[in-house]
Order: sequence, then C-alpha cells, then structure tokens
Amino acid sequence: MSLSVKHLLGIKELNREDIEQIFLTADNFKQVLQRPIKRVPTLRDTTVVNLFFENSTRTRLSFELAEKRLSADTINFAVSNSSVSKGETLIDTVNNILAMKVDMVVMRHSASGAPWFLSQHVDASIINAGDGTNEHPTQALLDAYSIREKLGDLKGKHITIVGDIMHSRVALSNIFCLNKLGAEVTVSGPPTLIPKHIEALGVRVEYNLKKALEWCDVANVLRIQLERQHKPLFSTLREYALYYGVNKQMLDSLGKEILIMHPGPINRGVEINSDVADSKQSIILDQVENGVAIRMAVIYLLSGKRDMGD
Amino acid sequence: MLVLIRKARIVDPQSEFNGKIVDLLIEHGLIKTIAASLDVKAEQVIDIPGLHISPGWVDVFADYREPGFEHKETIESGLNAAAAGGFTNVLLGPNTQPALSTKSSIQYVAQKAKGHIVSLHPMGAITQNTDGKDLAEMMDMHTYGALAFTDGWKPVQNAGLMLKALEYVRSFKGTVIQIPLDNALSAGGLMHEGPISTSLGMAGIPALAETLMVHRDIELLRYTNSKLHISGVSTAQSLELIKKAKSEGLALSCSVTPYHLALTDEALHSYNSVYKVSPPLRSESDRQALIAGLADGTIDCIASHHRPQEWDAKAREFEYASDGMNVQENAFSIIWNAVGKQLSLEKLVQLLSINPRKIFGLPDAVIAEKNKLDFTIFTPGEKSTLSEANIKSMSRNNPFIGKELNGKVLGIINQTNVYLNQ
Repeated sequence: MSLSVKHLLGIKELNREDIEQIFLTADNFKQVLQRPIKRVPTLRDTTVVNLFFENSTRTRLSFELAEKRLSADTINFAVSNSSVSKGETLIDTVNNILAMKVDMVVMRHSASGAPWFLSQHVDASIINAGDGTNEHPTQALLDAYSIREKLGDLKGKHITIVGDIMHSRVALSNIFCLNKLGAEVTVSGPPTLIPKHIEALGVRVEYNLKKALEWCDVANVLRIQLERQHKPLFSTLREYALYYGVNKQMLDSLGKEILIMHPGPINRGVEINSDVADSKQSIILDQVENGVAIRMAVIYLLSGKRDMGD
Repeated sequence: MLVLIRKARIVDPQSEFNGKIVDLLIEHGLIKTIAASLDVKAEQVIDIPGLHISPGWVDVFADYREPGFEHKETIESGLNAAAAGGFTNVLLGPNTQPALSTKSSIQYVAQKAKGHIVSLHPMGAITQNTDGKDLAEMMDMHTYGALAFTDGWKPVQNAGLMLKALEYVRSFKGTVIQIPLDNALSAGGLMHEGPISTSLGMAGIPALAETLMVHRDIELLRYTNSKLHISGVSTAQSLELIKKAKSEGLALSCSVTPYHLALTDEALHSYNSVYKVSPPLRSESDRQALIAGLADGTIDCIASHHRPQEWDAKAREFEYASDGMNVQENAFSIIWNAVGKQLSLEKLVQLLSINPRKIFGLPDAVIAEKNKLDFTIFTPGEKSTLSEANIKSMSRNNPFIGKELNGKVLGIINQTNVYLNQ
C-alpha cells in the first residue's frame, strides 16, 4: 500500500485512488482508537518533526497524537522558540533538524507553496499542515471522511462552504477533495471574501446564504480569520453575523436537516451560533476525532511501512 | 586595427544594403568599405556561416546594482552580460543604494562604465531616493547625462506628483518612464490574478492594477503634452489603451520584456521563485496580445528588465523571495525562440535598435560606409544554450539557463572594439 506521491503537499496532487486509500486506512486506525490500548507499534523506528511556523493548537495536537499512536518519536518546533527569529532560512532550519536523523516533516507555514519549496530542497517526506492561503490537505481529508461516515459515498452530494473563501486553505483543499470524490460544491459569503476566479475551480457561487443552505446536504462553516485580512473586506462582524452567521432559526426554516461542519476554532456568535454548533446536526467533534485517524493514515502511508500493526 | 567581416547578411531597414550579403571592412572605429566581396588582408577576420549584422541593440531597462548591492551585479559584470547578449547600449535603472537621484550618483555610474565596449546610459530617479514624495533634481541629472527618468520598480503612485514630473521634464524635452502598477490594487499580490492564482492559493495582482495606471498616465500625458514610456507592458488591456493614445498623436511609447513574450502564469505551478517577476507573468491571452503588439507596432522596444538576484534572495518561500529575472544575456534567444515564427527579423531589429534610438535620442547606427561602429552580430538560424559556466552576470536567476533556444548572439562591435562570445 502506498500513495502516488512522496509528500502530501496538497489535495491538488492526489488522485481519487489516493484519497480512497487514505480513507480505508483511516477506517482501520479508527478501530484501533476505540481499543483500550490506542496504539500500534508500526512507526516505532520513525521520528517525525512537527514544524509550526504559524500558531496552531488543534492541528498540532492532532498530528502529535497521530504520531504517538503510531509509536513514532516526535519532536515539536514552534517559531516562537526557534532560530527563525534570528534570521535562519527555512532550508537551513529543516536541514539542521534532518541532520539529527529525522524521517518526516509535518509543516505549517504562513507562505503559500512553502512545502513545495521545501520538497525541492530536502529528501524527507513532507506533510503539509497548512500553507498560507493555499492548502490544508489533512483537514479536507478528515472533512470528506466525516461526511462519508454520515452520508456514505460522496458522489452527487451537495456541499456548501460558507465564509471567508478568499483566505481559507481549508476551502481550497475541500474544493479539490470534494470535486475529486464527485461531490458538488457551492461557496457562499460576501462577494469580497470570494475569489473572482473561483468558478474556474468547478464550484458554484451563491451570495445568498439561505439559498446556499437550501441547496446543500452539508454546510461547512469557515472561521472568519480576522488576522488574515490585509484589506477591509467587510464592514463589521455584526453585519457579517446577521447575513452570513448560521443560526438555528435559519436551519429550521430549510425544511430539511443538513449536516453542519466547522474546522475550528469557532467564533461563537459570528459565523456560527451556539444553538447550531452544539446541535445534533453538528458533526464538529466527529471531525476532530476523525482527524487523528486520518493523520495516522497519511503518516503511515507516506512512511513506506507495510505493516499496520493491527 | 583592420577587421574584415565576411559574408554578413545586413538586417537594417535604414541601410541601402538591407537584406544583402556583403563583406565589411572596419578600421579606427569606422566602417571603411562595404562590398559584395572584398579581397583584403585584415588582422582579424570574422567569417561565420549564417552571420547577420544589424545596428547595435538597445536594452531600454536593466538593473545593475552598483552602488549598494555589488553582490548581485556590478556595473562591469552587468555590462559584460549586455555585451554577451548583443546589446551595445543599455539604459540603467536607478535601483541602487543610494538610488540614482542626484548628479553625483549619475556621474559615479557613468565613470564606472567608462572604457567598456557597451555604452551605459543611466536613468535618473523621478523622486528623491525613489521615495515617491518629492521631485528629484532632474534638470541637473539631465545635464550630467541622465537619459530618461523613472522610479523603476516603485512606480509613482501619486497622480499629482506624476503630473508635476511630466511637466518638469518638458524644460529639456525629457522622457518619463513608468513600470505601471497601482499599489492599492496589487497589495499583497504575488502573481497574476486568474484561475491559476486561485488554484495555487496565491494572492493575485489583477491586470487592472497595471491597466488603471496606464490609463491614468495617458491622461496625465495628454494634459501635460510631455513624453512618456511605459516599460514592460504586460496586459492586453494596457496595449489597447496605448494603441489608442498613440493613434491620437501622444508622445507615448512602450516596451515589453523577453519573459513576458515567452512565459505565462502557467510557469508558477511549482511555486518556483525564479518566475517571480514584476510585472507578473500574465495569462496566455495577454502573451498573445503582446506578440500581436510587436507586429502591429504598438510595442516600440525591448526592455530586458534584467534584475539580478543572488541565490539566497531567490531560494526562499515564494512570498519572501525577491522579484526579478536575469535575462539580458540571452534576451535575444528567448524572444526569437518565442516569437520567431510570427515576427520578421527586420521587425525585431526595429524593436531592438531603431525605435529605441529614436525614442531616447541615441545616435543612429545605419550600416553604411564612413559610419561609426555600433553593431550587433548574430546567427538567427543557429541554436544556443546559455550554460551556468559561461554566464557573465554575477547572478543566476534565469530559468532559461541550460535550455537550448533558437538564435545565437555572436557579439558586438562598438566604438573601436570588437567583442565576440566564445
């Protein structure tokens, strides 16, 4: 078992078979995670570095847990305690870590394409844990995996992604992943947060949230990332919450029950209300749980090991 | 010294020998004789099959980085690259530290270039230290040899200031050069905005960021009745505006870079920073419009936008890597390879030599007896490969290194000297 790629740089480079293989592998690991001893010895001779050039709590924890449950040795590197602040280049930083016999790199970086750049300069396998406004492939995989768990095959399913599509690597990876699995995608949000050329990626655009929700089986509600906006892209959070916040009243008016997802962390009362986030339609915590199994599957498949240890 | 060039095909629409294959005898900086066949003993004989000769080529925008950034390019290494690329005349951008915005810095670079086979023409900054705030001493710089005025990679954003600059240079019939980009529209952008930037998750620089400034500057030009050159035009819409303004009789001209003729935003798929340039590589339809603009005369000249960067400045995450491509040395081959099927050689010589000489007031270089030497020799029918080992520039940020391209530059003959590539 292996993937068609050496690195997981983005969903763009994966084919459908890769994605399905990751899902099947994750199914196995998800079973492991239900056992009293939630650990397999598969990667006990492997060392993985989690390189986070940008703040992250949940993604880093999820990766670290996935590595530990595969029995890999893990080291963590965060920009706040690194030599990057002293002017060291990315290649130097990574080569220094690899010189200590590290086998795989999980990297989050604020620059789009940074994992691509790194993959051209180092030998180790690289897993992209989010690069700039480009991709967040493991998030898209766990999102699609969570939908599959609830609704079965994604072919023909309608998914609406709501919010800041312009600055969201989650949106971009989700679009690629869902398209490859045969689902249909609509994006919804204020026009200033929707890239001008997004339709070229094979998605629909619907500025009216209610219509976008009426169309879909699943709504993936994105976080408003105020820290990513260089320009004034909408008026106020109040207006955003009024016109693009998902609340229970709106969901009840749809005449059908749709699934609600969110990649976290949630801004309650902005893009999603508590009465939605905590409702039985919400699969937000399932996403978090599945994240570990998906990341175990990706790390395992890229490690080149043949024994899942289960 | 007597030099004989044998069986040269003349490419010079202004010469009576245009299109003919002749022998040329040169001595003491002049063409002594041109004839179908010369039987003379010369100290140096250049006899290369397929040799063409044209008036010397002019690069209307190049950056050498002395003073301030000598690790990227010195004036000497830059001029050596120009000679290898077939350019006898180079207009130098003010992108130095300090910027070329005073008489003394103009004199400094002119002094550094003295004695080199390539003639260097520094351009002064429009604003003091290219800060975009106050006008620089353009009259004084003009007096001491600044050929035109530009803030280079920092186009003048303030319309009022640009208007004053265009008015100011009228006192000496000067030309203002702009590489148009509206910073408010391009802010944060890393590449051309379109389906490819969207799929790569990179912030886009819309074509509008260029077009809007071209439109503004044309109106300022109309108002001031001055002279303006748009360097490195990259979008189809800009060309339409320029074409219309030229037809209305404005003193407007423009140039294009070799890489905008050869490459598009498709090259960005691997996030390779060697393709990070300003203005950005545009779409295929823009590229086709540029090629059409060469043929129909909308585009007047070629600007290499030679912008050397050391390895470290490019071997970084795309967002943090420096802008620019270092293509002066194989500019001709890049262009000829990209557009050779659509463009006649005569037309290309017009763009490389005859038009820029007229626009910027450089002496003519007609191939005729008793004329001064200022010529480029080349073999358009031969292929060439710029290898890392042969490169004259101090920098290597050129994606065409190691690629076999159509067309080869043999060298230049300028002032009293002959330079031949190995």
